[in-house]
Order: sequence, then structure tokens, then C-alpha cells
Amino acid sequence: MSIVTDLLAKPGVVAAGEYAYRGDRFSYRGALSENHARMASIMCRATTMSVNMEASMVEALQPLSGLLPARGWLVHGPEYTVCVVANVFCLLENSKGSINDLVGFMRHALANIPSDMI
Amino acid sequence: MTTLDDLMKLPGAMAAFEFRGSGEMLEHRIAHADRINESTLDLLAHMCAANLSIATMQARGWEKVTGMVGFYPVQQFTLIGFDWSVVVSGLQREQYKQAGKFSLPPFMGVVLANESADYEAAFAVLERKEPVQ
Repeated sequence: MSIVTDLLAKPGVVAAGEYAYRGDRFSYRGALSENHARMASIMCRATTMSVNMEASMVEALQPLSGLLPARGWLVHGPEYTVCVVANVFCLLENSKGSINDLVGFMRHALANIPSDMI
Repeated sequence: MTTLDDLMKLPGAMAAFEFRGSGEMLEHRIAHADRINESTLDLLAHMCAANLSIATMQARGWEKVTGMVGFYPVQQFTLIGFDWSVVVSGLQREQYKQAGKFSLPPFMGVVLANESADYEAAFAVLERKEPVQ
């Protein structure tokens, strides 16, 4: 099974997808329209590129600080959380799932994904 | 109100800090100066202020465009690094805004070692509701 399929089987995950770092394609499954999934993948990709730039800046300031390579990010809202690790994103309904479990799963499943963002 | 010392009690806490919306760092605590020094924490505060603002803009736009609610206001932004994560929040400021206060408390953040990070516990501490003073 793909990680997107695995994620969608997790409690509380309403949608999950993957995007290419170069921005020319994406795929998803779950309760989103094609247009909304495209918008989500664009926002997630932009933020991922941004936090990687920021981690590189921290690394330049303090080498081996432990931030680089950045693995992902979370935006936690009152009802939903956006979880992104590498080039995979998912939307979690907070009351139905565990952020700790989801991040742990994604970090483990995507641990060997190259961090060169190609 | 949640304090830096409360945040430093979280599992794997390496540092905690307060910062303005402009990113300027105010108070801080550092437990592992070999991994996180004051200059790094200052840069992190600026990064986190920017990321919170962008996430808030995206959450607002997403809700308006899709009709899906529950993303705004952003409660926390978390950056997951290779060895550690940083979690920041300005949620307590919302309570002050809703109470009509003009003087708002600072944003708060905590750096957690990934191996022992409990993001939900960090969110709970940062979301703790206290009487508005």
C-alpha cells in the first residue's frame, strides 16, 4: 500500500496526498475536491520549501544544530491539523485522531526519503 | 498564564522562549546550550513569527475558499527538524483580544527533542486558559 492509503486508514485522517517538490504534479485521496486538493498541495509545498530554507539558515548560523534537514511541519487549528512530512500531507480531524501517533508514523514511514527535494 | 518554566517541564524540552509578533525575542530558557544557543533561538523566534503569520493567512484563505471551518485561528505552528521540533503559539493573545485588551501577552515557543516530543502535551500547555488580567 502507498503511504497515502496508509494515512487515510488512520483514525481522524480526512484526506492525504503527495506533491512533487518541483511543483508539477500531485495526487491525493479523501474528502477534498480536485481543486481544493490542488490548492492544499500548493500551500503545503510552499511552506515546506520555506521551512527548509529557514532550517538551512539556522544551520549556517549554528552548524550541526539538529534542525537540518527539516522533516516537516504542523499547523494545528481548533478542529483540524495539517500534518506534513517530506512531500506527504494529510488533514487530521483533531477530535478523532492522535497528532503524536500520526507524526510518529509519518516520520518513521518517510525516514528514508531523500531530503534533497528533487 | 503559561510560563517558560511550565514549557521547560515538557518531555524533551531543550529551550523555551517568548517573542513579539515582529519576531523579536523577549525572555528565554535554554537547557542544552551546545545544541541551541541564544542566537539560534533569536533566529527561530523570527522564523516562527513569520510562519505563524503565513499559516494564519493560509488558514483564513482556505476556510473562505473551501467552506471548511476549523483551521482558523491557528493555535500552534510546529516545525519538525531532524533532531528536534519547535512549537509556537499565540493563542493566549486571542483570549486577551476577545476580552477587549490592547496590551497582549507575547507569543510563546518550546523546542522539543524529537525522540521524546509529546506535541499534544505541548499544545495543551500552550492552550491553557487562564483568567485575563
